[in-house]
Amino acid sequence: MKNNIIILGGGQAGIYAAREIRQNDSKSNIKIFGEENLLPYERPPLSKDFLLDKKKEEDLYFHSSDVLKNENIEFENISINKVDFENKKLFAKNDNVYSYDSLIISTGSENKKLTLDNNLKNDIYYLRNLEEAKKIKEIVSNKNKITIIGGGFIGLEIASSLSQLQKKVIVIEIGNQLMGRIIPKQIADLVQNTHIEHGNEIILNKQIEKITKKNGDYEILLNDNSLIETDFIIAGIGSTPTVKLFDNTNLKIDNGIVTNQFCETSIKDVYAAGDVSNFYHPFYERNMRLESYQHAQNHGICAGKNIAGVKTEYTSIPWMWSDQFNLNLQLTGICDEYDEIIKRGNDINNGIIYFFLKNNKIRGACGVGIIGKVGRDIRITSKLIEKNTIVDKQILSDPNLKLNKLMQK
Amino acid sequence: MSEENWIEVGSTDSIEEEDLIRFDHQDKTFCVYKLTDGFYATDGICTHEAVHLEDGLVMDDEIECPMHQGIFNIKSGEALSPPACEDLKTYPVKVDNDKIFIKID
Repeated sequence: MKNNIIILGGGQAGIYAAREIRQNDSKSNIKIFGEENLLPYERPPLSKDFLLDKKKEEDLYFHSSDVLKNENIEFENISINKVDFENKKLFAKNDNVYSYDSLIISTGSENKKLTLDNNLKNDIYYLRNLEEAKKIKEIVSNKNKITIIGGGFIGLEIASSLSQLQKKVIVIEIGNQLMGRIIPKQIADLVQNTHIEHGNEIILNKQIEKITKKNGDYEILLNDNSLIETDFIIAGIGSTPTVKLFDNTNLKIDNGIVTNQFCETSIKDVYAAGDVSNFYHPFYERNMRLESYQHAQNHGICAGKNIAGVKTEYTSIPWMWSDQFNLNLQLTGICDEYDEIIKRGNDINNGIIYFFLKNNKIRGACGVGIIGKVGRDIRITSKLIEKNTIVDKQILSDPNLKLNKLMQK
Repeated sequence: MSEENWIEVGSTDSIEEEDLIRFDHQDKTFCVYKLTDGFYATDGICTHEAVHLEDGLVMDDEIECPMHQGIFNIKSGEALSPPACEDLKTYPVKVDNDKIFIKID
């Protein structure tokens, strides 16, 4: 049957959903509506290789327009401002109305903004899209002392890049550790040391009281009355799912669009994938919302399969990475449910991993090392988690013993 | 193709089964693998970002990049899983007197 399938959101989840639908369904019309007038592109390099000029804009696109054309996937730069789920219609800002048979919502997430005086709103920069990355790249070339508000992934990756561009960087974090939302303190402290070794200043446990503009520069007053002088401010203080469009509809929303393990929302024929979805994970038996590259890709693919009639549960074990300086940090699973922690390795050059176990099974692991050094073990760990393997703790804790010995053949 | 293009990598017992070794020759890096049915060779750097595949996971004829989990088929070099989308170059391998050789063009 030929259906009209609309994918609302032109990011990674959207493009992978579209291509997966086409793999399974050669007939239906597939349209992606993107808010940015750009084909879907990779965001991870924006805070790293793009700022460092190691990657150009053209390196970021997932696929060329030829690929989409060959697969008969339409991409349009259209902004939707109203959804009528009952009559399966989308209303665009340009007054066009689009009908769908099935809809995937992959609108992603958006940056939280600092609460500030109105006159400072345009002075604080945020990084999520290519346009913002371009602006930051251009402006920082003339700045020397840059303050980053928020010690999460995005802030620290920018801090790493700007340090490599010979800038003086200060990171202010409200919590008592960096990356506190999902990274264990043991690993966060190792990453913090690396920032300090490279000359970045890390300020923890401090809140911003006030920002004042002075002669084109800024003074940031902290809650301990200390004052930071800076000439450029970037904030990365977390994000929220992009769901405003669905206010006053019946779509069930609770920290994102609530979906089951098949990417189905509370409304028939409406699916959600990627950052915007608070999905049920059958392995962890709970709902979760993830903001990561692997999740956007795999969740998009899963939604695509389900919309094309290939009923598929989403069971990917969460995995994410961050690259800062010469370190690659990786996390798999969930590190907040455990009754035992096991450490593997003592030298960051060869990689250090903390495993979080419950009932002798790994629930999650987080490691950091010089680029490339923790990837293999983290990958094996994902498989051990997925297979619910009862692990030999001696092997886990001894970096001289290969982790693949724990794999069940 | 001349005989000179076959470069000795090492002895056959220098690689465990379902594992790899890195081999540097001139300014290039290669990975040489021992799979259940023999030896194979590919470029040693991931096509997605400049990362050595020597630290990657070898499993079921596939090599997975340790940095971002791009996956390649070791025998064909085919990029199987994003973020890798460009294939990995492969090289002929022969074994002679328990020594592994790869043919570099």
